[in-house]
Amino acid sequence: MRAYLSVFRMRLKMELQYRGAMIGGIVCQMFFGIVLVALYHALYASKAQAMPIESVATYVWLQQAFFRMMVATDQDLYDKIKTGNISYDLCRPVDMYWFYYTRIAAQKLMGSLMRGIPMMLVAFLLPKGWGMTLPYSISGLFSGLLALFFGLLCMCALENITMAISMRTLDPKGIAGMLGLLMVTFSGNLLPLTLFPDSWQKIITMLPYAQLLDAPIRLYSGEYPVSDLPLIIIRQAGWAAVLILLGIWLWERNRRKMIIQGG
Amino acid sequence: MVDLSYIEVENLRKTFTVRKKREKGKLLREKEIVEALKGISFTVEKGELVGYIGPNGAGKSTTVKILSGILNPESGRAEVGGRVPWKDRKEYVKHIGVVFGQRSQLWWDVPIVDSFSLLKDIYKIPENDYENRLKELTEALQLEKLMRTPLRLLSLGQKMRAELCGSLLHRPELLFLDEPTIGLDAVSKLALRDFLKWENKEHGTTIMLTTHDMEDIAALCSRVMVLGHGQKLFDGKLPELLERFDTVRTVAVKYDTDDPKLELPEGVEINKQDGEIRITYSPAEIPTANMLALLQNAGSIREMTLQSENIDYLIAAMYKEMDL
Repeated sequence: MRAYLSVFRMRLKMELQYRGAMIGGIVCQMFFGIVLVALYHALYASKAQAMPIESVATYVWLQQAFFRMMVATDQDLYDKIKTGNISYDLCRPVDMYWFYYTRIAAQKLMGSLMRGIPMMLVAFLLPKGWGMTLPYSISGLFSGLLALFFGLLCMCALENITMAISMRTLDPKGIAGMLGLLMVTFSGNLLPLTLFPDSWQKIITMLPYAQLLDAPIRLYSGEYPVSDLPLIIIRQAGWAAVLILLGIWLWERNRRKMIIQGG
Repeated sequence: MVDLSYIEVENLRKTFTVRKKREKGKLLREKEIVEALKGISFTVEKGELVGYIGPNGAGKSTTVKILSGILNPESGRAEVGGRVPWKDRKEYVKHIGVVFGQRSQLWWDVPIVDSFSLLKDIYKIPENDYENRLKELTEALQLEKLMRTPLRLLSLGQKMRAELCGSLLHRPELLFLDEPTIGLDAVSKLALRDFLKWENKEHGTTIMLTTHDMEDIAALCSRVMVLGHGQKLFDGKLPELLERFDTVRTVAVKYDTDDPKLELPEGVEINKQDGEIRITYSPAEIPTANMLALLQNAGSIREMTLQSENIDYLIAAMYKEMDL
């Protein structure tokens, strides 16, 4: 257990070293946030939608703030796979899946907190309809946070699956690009899931992607009542379990079939 | 009851499938089966320092990867200290250390001491033991001043020393070194060799070393194994190996006169250059004593050096003869 905690801590520390990248990330995400909100303002000017503009703006800002938690990849791990440095990790008396899982979790958590907190502070200061609103209720905030934790478990499992697949393809770009597209579409990053037609939503909200950020955000904004929390957590935990088992299976299969090329 | 050696390898086989680029006009890519190991057998005793040489692609690294539990062999048996490397990997790897000369195990962006303390947690090394061992290793490897430096700022030689330290923190019984001196300068190489000798003597660590640097083998290994085309071709002491291929000697002589009366038997190669005469002969045909007598009869000698062939040439000759 200490080994996994230790690698978690180490990855947090490493993330803190990239402060330049952090500022770049914040600027980029802020830009996207403002452009998206402006887009919705234009849309609402011609025809108002069921969801009020303030909620859309809050949704957009929360998605942007935790964007890195969702799609950031651990370049270091991909490099290990590509160069074969992974052979060192295979010589360690640890469980490979969890060793990488904790690393991924640390990077996602630290990376998104470092960017998300300053971004949310700025977003709160923006004028009404452009920035973020306060949570619907205190219990909404806390259930949102709890759901975010379970969402993180799913995100790390998804990332570790991408990692396992890229061990076979060697280049993560193809598979990460494909899975990334599914992710930004069905997680609500591109377009808030609440704006999808109701019939679509029935299916989309069941997919693992909706568990990542969409469910926590809707709890925060009161779209989902707090009484739905147990159901949401069960759905999230269920997906996390499925994705983790799939990842473990892929890693185990890789281990048996692996070839480390070159000297 | 037969006494088992520390490392027992019997008839180890490994094949790789290589997919080739699709040829024009063919629908599917062709596959080629490459036999990396064609049934290798050897034993190593505890505390031995064994060199494992062979040309690129001979199967050296494959053997190391199998013995360190990373790869599964096709067939064959291997046991290290009574454990099978590819079964129960997690338990097995606690007892071994690995240094891959061309790869890195330490974290690029953080001070090396942080990487070491992560290894402490990974190997569950008790705090006390860790402190002692770290002190011992950093002294022997002269790392004290570098502990707070991130890996990326270290030179290649410093990096290799840090990697070695990382691989030995958990006091492995067996250390695999895959080309540890690659790219190092003379001073670093010498320091590294001294350290390995010390570790082997002080702690009885069994060391298995693959390298292309024959000086490494000459300086360190009491025993050498030659691998080629996935087969073991030689297993014994380095001098024995050299004797078999050390068939020519070169003498360079300078005479006082410009035109000495040299009369040498046939089969001897003579090169004259800038007043120096280089004679290459085979001691098996003409004993060195006879050769020296012939040279002395030709005139008064001003300067003379007798050389045996460079060790790298010998190995090249050996690879050639073994058709590698």
